[in-house]
Amino acid sequence: MKTAGDTDLMIRNLAGEAGAGQARSSPSFESTLLLAAILSLACAIALVFATFGFQPELQATLVSAPFHHKIVSMLTLAGGGIFVVRYAGKPGSGALALATVLPGLALLLIGAISDTSGFPLMGRSDISVPSCVTAMVLLSLAPLALIIGVLKTGVTTRPAMAGATAGVLAGALGAAAYAFVCKNDGGLFVAVWYSVAIAIVMGFGALVGRRALAW
Amino acid sequence: MESREDIWANAMKAERRGDAAAYEWLLGDIAKLLRVLVRGRLSRLGMSAHETEDIVQEVLIGLHTMRHRWDVDRAFMPWLHAIVRYKLTDAMRRRRREARYRYDLTLEEWSNVVEAPREDADRALIDLDRHLGGLSSGQRTVVQALTIEGASVRETAEKLQTSEGAVRVTLHRALQRLASVAGVAPPKPSKGKL
Repeated sequence: MKTAGDTDLMIRNLAGEAGAGQARSSPSFESTLLLAAILSLACAIALVFATFGFQPELQATLVSAPFHHKIVSMLTLAGGGIFVVRYAGKPGSGALALATVLPGLALLLIGAISDTSGFPLMGRSDISVPSCVTAMVLLSLAPLALIIGVLKTGVTTRPAMAGATAGVLAGALGAAAYAFVCKNDGGLFVAVWYSVAIAIVMGFGALVGRRALAW
Repeated sequence: MESREDIWANAMKAERRGDAAAYEWLLGDIAKLLRVLVRGRLSRLGMSAHETEDIVQEVLIGLHTMRHRWDVDRAFMPWLHAIVRYKLTDAMRRRRREARYRYDLTLEEWSNVVEAPREDADRALIDLDRHLGGLSSGQRTVVQALTIEGASVRETAEKLQTSEGAVRVTLHRALQRLASVAGVAPPKPSKGKL
């Protein structure tokens, strides 16, 4: 059992370290996070092309409306994800930041509602769903590690939640990269299965964050 | 009048300039507030207030490790609040978990196991009482507090409203007396321990 006197003594010791151990001129949490997100996206895209190769229809894909829908909604979601991760890594930020994922989700929803392509929900082939979801999840793992690493330089006061936010950002980035080779253009397919992949990464992020981001 | 936010935020900034006095004052001020919070929380959970200072120290160390990650352009109080809430939750959860693993030895189980040498145990207690009876009431109180209840010299002195030195002297005399009754040489005073 410790007494208030012990605490006073400890406080005196801690006060002796005043001013020591400051990381001078280190970049802000925000700029580190932004850099990590850009790097993550670049890595994921590089990984996509390294794995799937440059397919002949790539040129056509890049100018197609479904690709634009996928990439814009995923990047919008990732943009919101950056604010959400910042919220998780900086105590005292307003919870309003959580609303920044809404535009990305709204785009997915609009895509699903306005889907007149007639493509089935389960994709163009039997393995569409498992292969797409698995690919997106795997592409998101390196980004997830990177973003959790950034969160460790912040102050996370809700470790599991912080890990989940990192999962949303990493999942959106991985899905954005996957859009370059995705052949399923149905709005409903994208809305459901891209979301499922991101949710899996989010859950994984929460599990990892619970331990990795506790201090 | 300055708000607490301004005062504490200024102390946090002073710490970065190496102002140990301002920082010490800040930690002390926060400790006072934490003590109230922790005591209330512990009693609401039906836990003993024994660990108040341990928990207060855990929170302070957490704050100390993270102090340079506070962004001076942002408000300090919301930042501190989030850290305190996190560290308190963590400390409480850990203690509740430990409490769950604590072995709940019932008196019944205990007496079943120790049934055989029971009379001896009673005898030892009776002997203890008898020997203590040979002391003056002041000496008895001190010996009881220090050796049987396990209180510290300072706590005993506070309880008896006397000085720590007086408590030590009383204990020393009591031990001499007990030793002479038992017919052994008085033990050397162990200064370091008490």
